[in-house]
Amino acid sequence: MQREVGTLPLAPALRARLAAAGFQTAQELLDTGPCGLSKEIGISREEALEALQVVRQECHGDAARTPGGPGATRKCTALELLEEEQTQGFIITFCSALDNILGGGVQLTKITEICGAPGVGKTQLCMQLAVDVQIPECFGGVAGEAVFIDTEGSFMVDRVVDIAAACVQHCHLIAEAQQEEDHQKALETFTLENILSHIYYFRCRDYTELLAQVYLLPEFLAEHSKVRLVVIDGIAFPFRHDFEDLSLRTRLLNGLAQQLIILANDHRAAVVLTNQMTTRIGQSQSTLVPALGESWGHAATVRLIFHWDNTQRLATLYKSPSQKESTIAYHITCQGFRDVQPAAVTHSPQGAELNPRKRPRTEEEKQ
Amino acid sequence: MAAKKLRRAQLSQEMCERLSRYQITTCQDFLCLSLLELMKVTGQSYYEVQKLLCKVSRACAPKMQTAYEMKMRKSVNPSSAFLSTTLHSLDRVLHGGVPCGSLTEITSPPGCGKTQFCIMLSVLATLPVSMGGLDGAVIYIDTESAFSAERLIEIAANRFPAYFDSDEKLLCMSRSIHLYRELTCGCVQKRIMSLEEEIISKKVKLIIIDSVASVVRKEFDTKLQGNLAERSNFLTRGASVLKYLAEEFSIPV
Repeated sequence: MQREVGTLPLAPALRARLAAAGFQTAQELLDTGPCGLSKEIGISREEALEALQVVRQECHGDAARTPGGPGATRKCTALELLEEEQTQGFIITFCSALDNILGGGVQLTKITEICGAPGVGKTQLCMQLAVDVQIPECFGGVAGEAVFIDTEGSFMVDRVVDIAAACVQHCHLIAEAQQEEDHQKALETFTLENILSHIYYFRCRDYTELLAQVYLLPEFLAEHSKVRLVVIDGIAFPFRHDFEDLSLRTRLLNGLAQQLIILANDHRAAVVLTNQMTTRIGQSQSTLVPALGESWGHAATVRLIFHWDNTQRLATLYKSPSQKESTIAYHITCQGFRDVQPAAVTHSPQGAELNPRKRPRTEEEKQ
Repeated sequence: MAAKKLRRAQLSQEMCERLSRYQITTCQDFLCLSLLELMKVTGQSYYEVQKLLCKVSRACAPKMQTAYEMKMRKSVNPSSAFLSTTLHSLDRVLHGGVPCGSLTEITSPPGCGKTQFCIMLSVLATLPVSMGGLDGAVIYIDTESAFSAERLIEIAANRFPAYFDSDEKLLCMSRSIHLYRELTCGCVQKRIMSLEEEIISKKVKLIIIDSVASVVRKEFDTKLQGNLAERSNFLTRGASVLKYLAEEFSIPV
């Protein structure tokens, strides 16, 4: 109630007038009432009423926030966070080595960035994740929907059909091996049409459309509350050409990163971005580094770099708060993103009970 | 989309006038500003500005489609999803042929046959759909002056003797291949920008650019300062326009 007038979210002209008239705290405004206010600063009564409503809303918001109730600023202890993190699901990538170095898969509520040279498999992984996020919980997935924002136009529906078909087949095999009720029930809804209709696709042609879409995303996610994955394929592409003012670019990118972080936290969704590589010309040699500059490197929580080593594709975990840096090899088959060697681990029914969320590992089918 | 005037984004007239005093006339300018700047410029409160932002974003955001809808749309017309190259093993590897609606790049050391391949594709595109073609015109942007019309006729006559049995048919086919000789980057860029209208008026079903690298390498010497940025600017701008054309008209490029 003792909030200063200058901090209220009113129009700047109004604030200037209030300051000139000598108002200092919100309480004074509320005490004066709309008629008194309109007479003193010379605005109409309707405007004064609107302003007072804004003030009242703000003060109520403040009051709700201070006793530690639910609000914009959440406080919780590290223990609560630990419990939350342990029960949190991961989005598996179907490549167990990659899942291992990520600590289980792509984490929800975090931003993961995938950088790589063209053709190395970034879009393939994104398409794989868009299918994997829909895996029902009894198979170890998060049973969510996916939003795919495409800036480069590399989304091929036919490929997603292939990946989804392989995923459904894999789940069928598990269900047959385990013969459990809820598996059968889940399989009824986990069909090709359902998977495809739960991937929401947006094609953004330039950075303005991308900005507009990200502004509208919170509303979209509120309507489609089951979305657990937002993929932006090619965040570098629209920002790399037509930009003379680099400081504007940095500002826009930082704003974008902020919005995505808020989105990820509020809706418990994972955000996956793909970035291009650029050449940094050093003193004597040139190295490939992720594009968009140094300041963008702070935006993502987890950073994966895909690269080639002769003909083998490798993925390096470059930045992660909880896992250590390591490199693994992966394969892209007609079924999608896979390990290099099939995981020859036989599954045990007891293992599944330990953590019902983790997908029981079965023998990968040979191609 | 970005250059959409705020007037058409359904903002009120006085708001548009006020914003134009600060030189903010398009959606792009509006969305590039931070919230505080927007508050200062529009003179509205925080919540109002957020509502305005949503309104402007809705005006230029892309439409949503689910992957299922996309697949349904494609399966309605399966033959138009690819341009078959009539090389069976290549078609198998490419899952049907050169895909419509996206960019395909052909690279190789000199002399391997890129231009020949392009000439053959031009012939294929003019064939009727029943024979595996696209039944449309072709725009061929030639930067190396390597296109030979005689070779075109030769390929057509030898490959499809049953179809091109008369000179009349050959002439008709060659009339539908529009050749543009551009020798500098600037010309290529201007040509690409002007393509949209030509595609509609001439019912073009295939765009070939032969070749992008030669004209770029001639003009941009990467050793000079600043040229690298300009070159990638030119390339990415061209690429995004071509992608837009490919997707909008569902044609291979």
